[in-house]
Amino acid sequence: MNLGRTQQRIRWLTLAILIGSGVLLTILDSTGALVGVLGFVRDPLTTVTDWTSARADAAGDIIAGPRNLAAAREEIAALQVQVEEQARTIEELSEAQGEAQVLRDLFNRAAETPEYRRVLADVIGQDTNPAIESILIDKGVDDGVRTGMPVESARGLVGQIYRASNNAAQVALLTETASAIPVRLGTTRATGILRGAGRGALPTIDWIDLQYVVEVGELVMTSGLGGKFPEDMIIGRVVQVERNEAELFQRAVVQPAVDFRTLETVFVVTEFETVDTEIFSEEP
Amino acid sequence: MAVNFYAAIPLMAVLAIIQTAILPRFPIAGVEPQLLFLVALAWGLLRGLDEGLVWAFIAGIWVDLFSLTPVGLSSLAFMAGVAAPILLQPMLPPRRLPVTALLAALGTLIYLLLYVIALGLLGHGLSAVGLAGLLPIVLLHAILVLPIYYVVHQLLRVLQPRRVEF
Repeated sequence: MNLGRTQQRIRWLTLAILIGSGVLLTILDSTGALVGVLGFVRDPLTTVTDWTSARADAAGDIIAGPRNLAAAREEIAALQVQVEEQARTIEELSEAQGEAQVLRDLFNRAAETPEYRRVLADVIGQDTNPAIESILIDKGVDDGVRTGMPVESARGLVGQIYRASNNAAQVALLTETASAIPVRLGTTRATGILRGAGRGALPTIDWIDLQYVVEVGELVMTSGLGGKFPEDMIIGRVVQVERNEAELFQRAVVQPAVDFRTLETVFVVTEFETVDTEIFSEEP
Repeated sequence: MAVNFYAAIPLMAVLAIIQTAILPRFPIAGVEPQLLFLVALAWGLLRGLDEGLVWAFIAGIWVDLFSLTPVGLSSLAFMAGVAAPILLQPMLPPRRLPVTALLAALGTLIYLLLYVIALGLLGHGLSAVGLAGLLPIVLLHAILVLPIYYVVHQLLRVLQPRRVEF
């Protein structure tokens, strides 16, 4: 009888300790008090993850090879049909021109910003939680990577560094709900804040002034305001505009230019020229 | 208990690396299972509440080391998701595959529900589309728990062979 009661006490004590530890760790990590300790644990693990990731890539390529070939053939056939249709209609031609323009802009962008310092990083993992969107890269504090730095790929902005340990860093994707990026639209030049909507949903630009007539297909870029991102980094295109004359602002849904699931290599922008906002602090 | 506790730490570390580096490249029908949760759940169903909770706690810590979420959050969600099926287990017919699948689905649902609520409180709220996107995990876990349950059962036999008395 007493033994049973003792076991019951031990069980409750274990439960209390585990829950207490969980809550305590959550609070300590949220306040940044565990950065050093967790970095010490993460660093050796990321080395193993890096190695595992490279092997998984190779295995994935071997397995996906025949499927890719079949998919590529189907894609070529579909594209041929599309090319014929495009020859008939001016609208579809202009759409194709727009796509080409995006790619041209990206290449030009890379050539136009030699003053930015970038660190090339491999994507070695994805977030282990199903509801969160982040990636793990193989560059960290030792390579000059710091929390808050922008991360881009050849197609556009990916997100920003959420936390960095000595040889790895976690990147919060721009689609993540905690993400807020000052942006500008390519044609109308309207500004707003791009907010992530979480996994499975497209990010939206809030706080766009109603005076601008935002069009579907407009290019979305970083505005550089706030100094956390360089200006004119491509983010994506507007795919939907939510405009209500009864409200003060309009919203736009954005399709990111980057396919986050297929990212393999990214740039961390470690140094860039910030937008000069001194003019706003000067007294008239 | 102590041996199992120490076995959980390296095993969950290996599973966490598989979860972050390999599973995203090989999703099952477009869905990535939460391997660490399933192993903790299977262990708990076989070994009881105490060990299930400890394994869930350790699994959660490893998961959060590779995630944006604060360390400890997944532990709390995992513990709730593991505890509920274990407490419900004695009320259901023993050693039946559909029962194990059902318990895994229930545990996953509870874990995801708590996890999403906690994320919302921390500013990582999910849209309706995002929430709907999580539901296939429940179904996948209900299926995947069966082979994992078998593997964990075999692992237990290695770690703790039955005594034979003469």
